[in-house]
Amino acid sequence: MTSVDRWQLPDGVEEVLPQQAAAAERLRRQLLDLFRSWGYQLVIPPLVEFTESLLIGLGADLDLLTFKMTDQLSGRTLGVRADMTPQVARIDAHSLAQSGVTRLCYAGSTLHTRARTPTGSRSPIQLGAELYGDDSLAADVEIIRLMLATLASAGLSEITLDLGHVGVYGAVLEAAGLEPEQEEAVFDALQRKSLPDLELALVDADADTRELIVSLVELHGDDSVLARARELFSARAPQALAAIDALQDVATDICRNRPDVAIYFDLAELRGYHYHTGMVFAAYVPGHGQALANGGRYNDVGKVFGRARPATGFATDLKALMALLPAEETGRGAISMPDSDDPALLDRVAALRSAGEVVINCLAGVPDPRCDRELAERDGQWQVQALNTDQAAS
Amino acid sequence: MSRPLTLALTKGRILKETLPLLAQAGIEPLEDVSASRKLVFETTVPGLQLVIIRGTDVPTYVRHGAADLGVVGKDILLEQGADGLYEPLDLNIARCRLMTAGPVGWQRGGARVRVATKFVNVARRHFARQGLHAEVIKLYGAMELAPMMDLADLIVDIVDTGNTLRANGMEPLEEIASISSRLVVNKAAMRAQHGPIQKVVDRIAAAVAARAA
Repeated sequence: MTSVDRWQLPDGVEEVLPQQAAAAERLRRQLLDLFRSWGYQLVIPPLVEFTESLLIGLGADLDLLTFKMTDQLSGRTLGVRADMTPQVARIDAHSLAQSGVTRLCYAGSTLHTRARTPTGSRSPIQLGAELYGDDSLAADVEIIRLMLATLASAGLSEITLDLGHVGVYGAVLEAAGLEPEQEEAVFDALQRKSLPDLELALVDADADTRELIVSLVELHGDDSVLARARELFSARAPQALAAIDALQDVATDICRNRPDVAIYFDLAELRGYHYHTGMVFAAYVPGHGQALANGGRYNDVGKVFGRARPATGFATDLKALMALLPAEETGRGAISMPDSDDPALLDRVAALRSAGEVVINCLAGVPDPRCDRELAERDGQWQVQALNTDQAAS
Repeated sequence: MSRPLTLALTKGRILKETLPLLAQAGIEPLEDVSASRKLVFETTVPGLQLVIIRGTDVPTYVRHGAADLGVVGKDILLEQGADGLYEPLDLNIARCRLMTAGPVGWQRGGARVRVATKFVNVARRHFARQGLHAEVIKLYGAMELAPMMDLADLIVDIVDTGNTLRANGMEPLEEIASISSRLVVNKAAMRAQHGPIQKVVDRIAAAVAARAA
C-alpha cells in the first residue's frame, strides 16, 4: 500500500468536515426538535442486529443492500442496518407493545453495500418519523405534512410532492389476471414507463386487458389524472376507485395548507410495491435528480414480531439535504483567552461559554484564527476587547 | 420555471437520424451541429438545449439529472439497466438487432463458451437463460476479429446488414433483442418539471406518430 491509497475512503463513504458538519448537526437537532414538537418520540436503534429481524418485510432489495457478518457469540448472522424502518417497527411491535397510536422518530448512520441512487452515499444518515396504530388517511396526511415541514425547515422550496397508491396497480392487476411471468415483465416495463416494452409484454393478452394496463403508463401528472383514472377504471377495475378517492382526499388536504407545493400524481408508481400497502409519497426539488424524502403506508410489517400494526412513515437522508444547504460562514467571532489559571479569568470564561460564546485557549501566544476578540485584564477585571492584531501577527 | 431543459443526444449514426426527427417535432439546433466543435447547442425551442455525447454516456447524464431527457439506443439501456430512468418513447430510428454470431458452421463443444462483446451484461443474461456457462470477454470494437484470432468462440454485437460478419467468415445465430433508439427521461425531472418535459415528449411523440402514419 503506497501513501497514495492509504488515505483513501471506500467509494460512497465520506467524512464530513467542520463547516459542513456544523451545518449538518444543526439541521439534525433542528429536525429532531421539529419531530418532538409534533409529538414524535426519539428512539435509538442499534447499529447491528440479527438479519432475521433486520431484513423483515421490506423486500429483497434490502437483503442485497445490507452488509453482513457472523456474530462470534451466537454464530448467527448480523447485519449492519441499511434501513432503520424495520428496527423502529420492531421497537413499536415488540419492545413498546403499546396499543393505540405510537409516534416514533429516529436519526442515525446506515450502511449500504451499493449506493441506492447514482449520486447517493453508501453511508447515508437516515432521519425519519413513523406513525403506528392508525389506519386512517388522517395519519398519512399527518406524515406527509411532517415530511413537507421537514424540507421547509431545511430551507428547501419549490417542492413537488409525488403521490401514488399501490391499490391502483393492485386492482388493475387483479382485474387483468396475468401469468406470473407476464406480470413480472409488466412490472418492469411500468417502472420504466416504457410503452413499447409494455406492449411487447402484453402481446398475448386480450385487447381489453392490454388497454387497461397500458392506460396506467399515461396516468401521471396533475389532478386531471384522477378524473381520467376514474373514467377508465369505474367499469373494469372498480376496486381501484377507493385508492383514487384516497389520493384525491389527501391532495385536497395538503393543498389547503400548502398551496405552494406542486402535487404530481403517479398511479403507476411501483417503488416499494411489494411492502407498501396504501399511499406512497415522495418529495422532489428541481435540479436534484433523486427524491429527497419518501415514505408510505406499510401495514402489518410488525406481524413477524407478534403484532400486526397499521404503519405509515417517511425518511430522508441528512447528507442529501445537507448537500443542498448553503455552506456555513467560517466561524469568526470566537474569543481568545490567555493561557492562565487565574480563577477570575476562568469564572469569566465559564460565564461567557454558558452564554453561548466560543472561547478558545491561546496556546503558545498565537490566538486561534477564528478569534476576533480577546480577554484582557484591565483594572483587575477581565474584559472582552477587539483582538490586537499586531499581537496576533507576532 | 426558468431552469432550461437539457436533451442529451447520442452522437454518430443515431444523431444523423435523430436530428430530422427532432426537426419534424419543431426542435432544431440554432447552428449546424456537424460543423461546430461545441458540445452544447441552443434550439429553436426556448428553454431547451441539446448536448451531444457518446451513447454510453447518455444514461449516465440523465440518471444523474445532469440532462433531463436523452436519446439513446435500446442496446445501451439493456446493457446498463434503466434504474432511475423512464423510457416513454420508441423513436423508431436507428433500427438494428442485437445478436449472437459465430464462425460459419460453428458447433458447440465443451461446457463453457467464450463470448467476446461490449455488451457483457446482456451476453451473460442471454447465455444464462440458455443454461450455458459463458466466459465473457469485454472488448471495445472489432468483435469479428475475436473468433478469427481464437480469443472467443462467439460474439454478441449489433447487426445491421450482416455484411461485416459475412466478410469475416461469420454468420448471425440468434437474435437477443430488436433495437431502436428510445427517449429517456430522468424520474425526478419528470416530477419536478412535469409540464415542460411532457410538452417535449408529446411533440416528439407526435413526430414519431406522423412518420409511422
